[in-house]
Amino acid sequence: MSAGWTPLALARDIPPGAAAGAVLDGAEIVLWRDATGAIHAWEDRCPHRGMKLSFGFVKGDRLACLYHGWEYDGGGRCRHIPAHPELDVPASIRTNAHAAAEALGLVFVHVAAGPDLPPPPTDPGDPVTPLRSLFLDADAEEVAAALARGLPGLGPARVSGGGVLRSVEQGGHRLHAGLHRIGPARAALHLTVAGAAGGAALDRIARAAEAFRRAVEGGAAAA
Amino acid sequence: MILWTYDLDDGCYRARLMAGLAGVPLALRAVDMIPGRAHLAPDMLARNPRGTLPVLEDGDLVLTQLPAILAHLARAGARGQAFLPGSPRERAACEEWLAFAFGDAAAAAAARRAALFGPEDPAPAARAARAALRLADDHLTRQGFAGAGFLAGAAPSIADVALFPAFALSRDYGVDHDEFPALRAWARRLRGLPGFLTMPGIPDYH
Repeated sequence: MSAGWTPLALARDIPPGAAAGAVLDGAEIVLWRDATGAIHAWEDRCPHRGMKLSFGFVKGDRLACLYHGWEYDGGGRCRHIPAHPELDVPASIRTNAHAAAEALGLVFVHVAAGPDLPPPPTDPGDPVTPLRSLFLDADAEEVAAALARGLPGLGPARVSGGGVLRSVEQGGHRLHAGLHRIGPARAALHLTVAGAAGGAALDRIARAAEAFRRAVEGGAAAA
Repeated sequence: MILWTYDLDDGCYRARLMAGLAGVPLALRAVDMIPGRAHLAPDMLARNPRGTLPVLEDGDLVLTQLPAILAHLARAGARGQAFLPGSPRERAACEEWLAFAFGDAAAAAAARRAALFGPEDPAPAARAARAALRLADDHLTRQGFAGAGFLAGAAPSIADVALFPAFALSRDYGVDHDEFPALRAWARRLRGLPGFLTMPGIPDYH
């Protein structure tokens, strides 16, 4: 697993035209996908007045800030300021862009783009079925420890991997499980199923994921 | 029909949203709820002794309870019938989630009111609202696996209209949308419906 790349969302949950916020170790990030399907990850802060860009909206290949409508292109450069429509916006007005990549149905982000990044996670190209992200009021370490036993009710589990990406073989399925620390006592688990899976199987696994959240949070609350 | 309404009230918004989606023209009468407390003035109390908003007048029929208002507006509009499911299973699911919107998710309106207008601490209601949003997000996630994009099935219903502001206005009470991907996708679907309209606090994407 390439160091520094962290899964923050399911690719399905950031469709073309959508923008959403994510928090990684307290750092606020906006994830958005343009009309061409390219995924972007930036610091969640408009350089104008600091408004969260995740409150904004996608217009074609640009992300528009909700506050004054300033529009940024895929590279993070401001291209349009509605209050000054004739202005050729200086190149210095730009968002703080991170690096984004997709693999296993997950969106990975490396905070701080640059020339010396470790290579992004590779996608072997096998089919993947998205399941869901699970947000837990628990430390990431606790979630990882609990995940070693798999999800409740699906039978014996074989869990491999570590760090931000694990593989959970359980109940006839293999899950990709991306883990990210949101902050103290807040973590997220991003789950996709290797191969194809029908609605009934996805429902069953999703309910097991909900039970996992209840168990971990119940344990965290009891601690 | 006449709707007595206050622009910043999410209950009044639900009535206006239902009318918009159903295609029911409404004559709006603005009531200075805050700070004027005009909903408690003698003329409004004569109209609605409960002292609440919204109030819907359809001739001599006066409705003040939101579940009744939403259903009446749905029945009245050309596009509205579709928001009242006919099949027993979908009708039951609609009633289940309508009750959820006005029961479990009522904390959202309370949290927002406290956060915006005071005086209570919004934190306890905000926690309850977040718990309700989680349940709705879990449900919509599983609905997606069954090919359904809305609370009661593949088509929107009055339950979706009833629940929408609890999520759409959640930032007013300090709960962001990061942790609710299924609700975000659901909100996008609602925004795409003919007649959809917003209120202050719910962006009009331009």
